[in-house]
Amino acid sequence: MLTALADPTRRDLLELLSVHGEATATVLADDLPISRQAVAQHLAVLDEVGLVMGHRQGREHRFVVCPEPLDETARWMAQLSQQWDRRLRAIQRIAEAAHRVSPK
Amino acid sequence: MNTDRIEREVSIEAPIERVWEALTKAESIGMWFGDGAAATIDLRVGGVMVINHGEHGTYPTLIVAVDPPRAFSYRWAGGYPGDLATEENSTLVEFTLRSTPDGTVLHLVESGFDALTLPTDRVATGGFESHSKGWTGVIAKFAQYVMGTDETPLVSSS
Repeated sequence: MLTALADPTRRDLLELLSVHGEATATVLADDLPISRQAVAQHLAVLDEVGLVMGHRQGREHRFVVCPEPLDETARWMAQLSQQWDRRLRAIQRIAEAAHRVSPK
Repeated sequence: MNTDRIEREVSIEAPIERVWEALTKAESIGMWFGDGAAATIDLRVGGVMVINHGEHGTYPTLIVAVDPPRAFSYRWAGGYPGDLATEENSTLVEFTLRSTPDGTVLHLVESGFDALTLPTDRVATGGFESHSKGWTGVIAKFAQYVMGTDETPLVSSS
């Protein structure tokens, strides 16, 4: 999912779609410097990783943003940060213990 | 939300040389980053540092910067146990140390998450979560081993 978000155009697209709430590739392409086909391709990538969901309404293929995977990524990053806190604290203890045993 | 990098900092009441040793000596690395057993480390640019996480496998990380006692960086492929870290499969971990009147400030940045390609089965099954749960278990166990159950916050963190 992070790979899907690595592309700045896809980030813009996702933000734009969240502003619209629900939109077609044609509508989104109006606000972006890329073609409707390019928008559709980006939407397909985002759909694959679960960041957007498409559904048919009449002749239109409409998309909405699915925020859950983003929340999951936020949680994942928070967990990684906590792991680093623990590791840094371990380094802190090791260095301070060594310093107490033989101060320089 | 910045999904590309994690940045943390800690103040340590010990001289910079002591912090450098804690950061880079094989026995210490095993304690703060591995399963408790000494890591193997070839401390030079291009050298390999092998972290052992017991049942979760070993992680041959690639050292990319060594400037004692100020900078230490390596790439590690946390999503690919057993694989040597490359540009494609890994994140970059950068430690910088600076002396202060009270001791040393140790600064950490882990970056490159946005460009990281994880195994597709993990991505497809929402694997970030399950993958990190596994990690949290390992780290939590290790943290208890090294530090008791102390969960006090860091002196400073960003």
